[in-house]
Amino acid sequence: MSRMKSYRATAAGVGNGVFAVSCASEPSPGAMALSNERKLNAFLADVERRALRIAQIGIRDRDEAFDLVQDAMIKLVRKYSARPEKEWTPLFYRILQNGVRDWHRRQKVKNRVMVWMGRSSDDDEYDVVAQAPDPGERTPEQHLQTGETMDRLEVAIHALPTRQREAFMLRTFEGLDVAGCATAMGCSEGSVKTHYSRAVHTLRDKLGEYWQ
Amino acid sequence: MNQPHEDDVLAQQAKALFDDSVDRLDGASLSRLNRDRHAALAELQSSRLRGRWSMWAPVTGVAAAALVAVIVLRSSPDIGLETQTETVADFEILMEGEDLELIEDLEFYSWLASSELGTSSDVG
Repeated sequence: MSRMKSYRATAAGVGNGVFAVSCASEPSPGAMALSNERKLNAFLADVERRALRIAQIGIRDRDEAFDLVQDAMIKLVRKYSARPEKEWTPLFYRILQNGVRDWHRRQKVKNRVMVWMGRSSDDDEYDVVAQAPDPGERTPEQHLQTGETMDRLEVAIHALPTRQREAFMLRTFEGLDVAGCATAMGCSEGSVKTHYSRAVHTLRDKLGEYWQ
Repeated sequence: MNQPHEDDVLAQQAKALFDDSVDRLDGASLSRLNRDRHAALAELQSSRLRGRWSMWAPVTGVAAAALVAVIVLRSSPDIGLETQTETVADFEILMEGEDLELIEDLEFYSWLASSELGTSSDVG
């Protein structure tokens, strides 16, 4: 009888204890959502400036680069905010790289249409607006500060084939590992290594004299 | 033989230049990025609200369908068995809840049901 009482008391105690612990340790859905939003904000704040520069180098168009980064942010938040935090970086860059590729495709179609209509970019009439300096471009002072080497690097990276450009920028500028790059680029890790290696060789050949 | 080292040097120099250019982004760019980020995060809040609504949508749908059924059945107490069966079939369609658009306009469906019943009794 006394054993029974003791068992009941223990069971009740354990039950209450578990209940109390589970209540204390599980945050409310609202608190979890707020925490997730804070994490997303911190992630995007950390990545946005590098993403903008990567997009700018990829398409050489400042305003379009802003739009691509914003699209990537929105799509990440809409589709992948519930995914584990460590997956956000490759997913974000996958969205961004897809945007860059789509932008290049649109440009190709646009150029083809222009040629079909009998106007190529080479024989276009002089367009005052197009020739005017981009107000978003860096000022002469900034140009001097950043230096000629960065400009040459940007031009050289932009001239790389798409996959090589992606592999080089994601690995070197964003610091993604091979697996992260593979996720971001939607290809195998072996392909990432090949593209990266070729990109570095091409850049060294083009820029060798500027790196001595 | 020393190629890997040269590759590393190139990558390091490129990274340093890139980081420098990131640090030198102007205030207008930073401001726009900040604005775009908050716009993106606002999507999260709106999707959360949509989620809350969608959680209640099935319950609301069933309640609305039940209301339609009551309106239809009470508006024509002297309808025959055949018509009642049709009404029940309509009610089942509404209760499936797969297409909530069907019950968005309760007044319209109420009117439609009563007018159809009226027409069939007139013809019969």
